[in-house]
Amino acid sequence: MTDTVSPSGRGRRLRQRFGYDERNAALFLAPVMVVLMGVAVFPILYSLYLSFFRIKLTRPNQTPFVWFDNYTDLFSNELFWVSVWRTVTFSVVSVSAIAVIALLVSLLLNQEFRGRRVLSTILLIPWAIPYVANALMWKWIYDSGYGALNGLLYQLDFIDKYMIWLGDQDKTIFLIANAFVWKEVPLATILLLVSLKAIPADLYQAARVDGANIWQRFFHITLPAMKPGFMLVMIYETMMAIRHFDLFFILTEGGPGDASHVLSWHIYVETFRNLSFGSGAAMSYVLALVTFALSYIFIRTLGRRI
Amino acid sequence: MARIRFEHVEKKYSNGFHAVKDLNLDIQDKEFIVLLGPSGCGKSTTLNMIAGLEDISDGALRFDDEIVNFAPPHRRDVAMVFQSYALYPHKSVFDNIGFGLKMRKVPRDEIERRVREAAGKLEIDHLLDRRPSQLSGGQRQRVALGRAMVREPAAFLMDEPLSNLDAALRISMRAEIKELHRAMQTTFVYVTHDQAEALTLADRIVVMNDGVVQQIGTPDDIYERPKNTFVASFLGNPPINYIDGQIESTDGSTARFRRGDLAFDLPASIAAKLGSSHGREVRLGIRAEDVDETAAGAAGSVIRGKVNSILPVGSDQFLGFDLAGQELFFRVGKDLAHNLGDDVALSVDLNRLHLFDKDSGETLLW
Repeated sequence: MTDTVSPSGRGRRLRQRFGYDERNAALFLAPVMVVLMGVAVFPILYSLYLSFFRIKLTRPNQTPFVWFDNYTDLFSNELFWVSVWRTVTFSVVSVSAIAVIALLVSLLLNQEFRGRRVLSTILLIPWAIPYVANALMWKWIYDSGYGALNGLLYQLDFIDKYMIWLGDQDKTIFLIANAFVWKEVPLATILLLVSLKAIPADLYQAARVDGANIWQRFFHITLPAMKPGFMLVMIYETMMAIRHFDLFFILTEGGPGDASHVLSWHIYVETFRNLSFGSGAAMSYVLALVTFALSYIFIRTLGRRI
Repeated sequence: MARIRFEHVEKKYSNGFHAVKDLNLDIQDKEFIVLLGPSGCGKSTTLNMIAGLEDISDGALRFDDEIVNFAPPHRRDVAMVFQSYALYPHKSVFDNIGFGLKMRKVPRDEIERRVREAAGKLEIDHLLDRRPSQLSGGQRQRVALGRAMVREPAAFLMDEPLSNLDAALRISMRAEIKELHRAMQTTFVYVTHDQAEALTLADRIVVMNDGVVQQIGTPDDIYERPKNTFVASFLGNPPINYIDGQIESTDGSTARFRRGDLAFDLPASIAAKLGSSHGREVRLGIRAEDVDETAAGAAGSVIRGKVNSILPVGSDQFLGFDLAGQELFFRVGKDLAHNLGDDVALSVDLNRLHLFDKDSGETLLW
């Protein structure tokens, strides 16, 4: 209202764009912005900076600036490609298992039956368990001497002696994936159940009158309606899977051999065991970019036509 | 083409709710039947039983002569329009309309032809590539109608199809539905709680309450000769007025209604039906429009009171009328000038009175 005496058009435009509300908002947001700068933005930029130096803590006085050498070295490192392959295996197996199991469980929980609420509550328990606690629990279950898995299979006569489950190169990654799936299914189920609950009942009635059988109703109504929920599950779980660390750290430390040597474990070893901060930072950046690219692809392909 | 018959049909839900009680209804082929009643009266349940979307607890439902109690919806050759339209959100308008034909394995070119024909009739042929979310309410309504039309069903079921439209569109769609019925030459069963829709559309109206059929008849029957106070109250705007009182001096040819110092000399046609019911407690019904101020009312047909409220409704006005503490509403011409608090005398059209038993609410006249 008092703009009429503004000295210049530009000043007036700025003041209109950043009016009273915006300035107040900025004021209130400032403290949290400062904190975020310190704990998020700065480390992100600093690790980018580090990734252009050869930094080994064992040679603290020699930290030459090496341009993109850390990145190019990475791609010629055989173990890096092994870790990429392990990560892909782990992610594909666990994300597809999560999607299928969560779909079935959400369809089940969408039905009316006695004890449904109790069952839903029980199914949520894995979600409430911290990742490290989950990893320790599965370490016990898979243990070669006193593990519940051995005990169960032995008593059921599926095996005639206790197995060293996590010592088997061919099985390790799948056993870890199993522990991961167990922890992640509840959340994925809830996300899918939300989209299921949102489907109006009369769509099914209309389809029945139109002559659609139960499968046709599922494919023409249920699945399309679940697409947004599915997209969310796929993006979220893929991001969780390719960055997952806790289970590998606690169950196998990347072993046996390189059987569970995934990318996040590779970064950990490079950074904190080899104390090579420059190349570790470079790998983290590669992982972040891959995660970003994958989400983008998911959103583009699944997000279309919604 | 279908004649639909309910014979002693019952619907009880597993939670004990008795939604429909001893329903007997014979819907003729090509008839337009409207099920009318307040929410929860069982009208939608009845429609769903015809569609096969609800099981029948007891009794028989026949299409022509065949019992269809256990036939699934797709074997009944009915099409349905839902209150929410229930369009498939992920399909184009074309696929929505053609879905029922596709499920019935109608050849592709035949689907194409019938969908375009229906869309042409409904004037939505330019929308066939759109999705339901890109349509207005009225357009969605047409798509829902089109989806039912292409099936060329034996019976057309509609569950409050106009209730989500705005008032102007509702009235024009009413006319279109009536025209659709004429063009399609098939049985229509239409559910609504809107008396105006029922009166304009129906060949016969079925008034329901609490799962029980109150009256079945032509719109004229239902409005002019209501069987009980429920039916009388449900139709009419503003609703019918009731005055409780007693019948005096009935000798079979003359009768008088009295409450306090208000008295009406009932016409011979009514008196004849009352027989000897001297002293009987009755409820007198006067439709809002059955009064006149200008006519010099004969003695014994005049009702006096104070003007309590005046509600102009364009062509007419509703007059809130205080009769010894009881508020009545009448519809009078808007040229009658009154102020709040005025004393007025209205003459009642005695030939159009309704008389009900005070306790049972059943009519004493027909």
